[in-house]
Amino acid sequence: MKKKRSLLPDCTEAGYCCDKKQYNEASFLEKIKMLFHMALCKPCRDYSSKNTKLTKLIEKSDLKPCPEEDKKIWKQTIEKEISK
Amino acid sequence: MSINKIDPTKWVDKYSDYLFNYTIARVNDRELANDLISETFLAGLKSMKNFKGEASERTWLISILKRKIIDQYRKINSNKGRAEIKIKYKEDSNEGDWLEEQAPDRFDKTAEDMMENEELGLAILNCMESLPDKQAKIFKMKTIDGFDTETICNEFNITPSNLWVIIHRARTTLAQCLEKNWF
Repeated sequence: MKKKRSLLPDCTEAGYCCDKKQYNEASFLEKIKMLFHMALCKPCRDYSSKNTKLTKLIEKSDLKPCPEEDKKIWKQTIEKEISK
Repeated sequence: MSINKIDPTKWVDKYSDYLFNYTIARVNDRELANDLISETFLAGLKSMKNFKGEASERTWLISILKRKIIDQYRKINSNKGRAEIKIKYKEDSNEGDWLEEQAPDRFDKTAEDMMENEELGLAILNCMESLPDKQAKIFKMKTIDGFDTETICNEFNITPSNLWVIIHRARTTLAQCLEKNWF
């Protein structure tokens, strides 16, 4: 049976939209639906505020990704040393 | 008191990001950071017998890394007296070249800000360790490495909906963890 989609998303869907928004991947329609939902739902407003805060903290922390090639080399070195 | 176990085969997956960010904040040189981490893993393997399990594996590895970083500082300081001083004067022929060393220091961030940001970064990585392996990997790829949704879905053979469920769970756990440990 095809799932019926309403104009107002439920909390789960609103949560996913909020996550997508943090990565600039929410569509215009998703953003509008989310805003409507948030206007009526306090727990989702709280989640959205925490989520935005988390994004800001991650940006502020300026975490550097560790290069994958180096990880591979380290893994090989460790395996080699263990097998000695 | 619980005894922590040691498992070197998981060191890279579990701690390399933490060690990397810890080191890069102190030596500010990617290559040197890689060398120091590599040396730390090797030293850890050699002294595995000394691991009593009182501290966590990560704390133990950090203590080894700290010594490696201090040795590095000492090495730099002992070379200072012998350093050859070269002064580069700006030549007209170089006009238009943007030399890194001529760039001004960042004025928007104080040393305190940078220290706080480094601690924050380590707190985030610390919280990420509490996530299940797959969740942590996907969250890291999406949020820190900045991979697009399609690439991650192909890599893990999951649908975009699955990906957003995983990201949602990871973000909820991280927000709770940081609320407890950071705010």
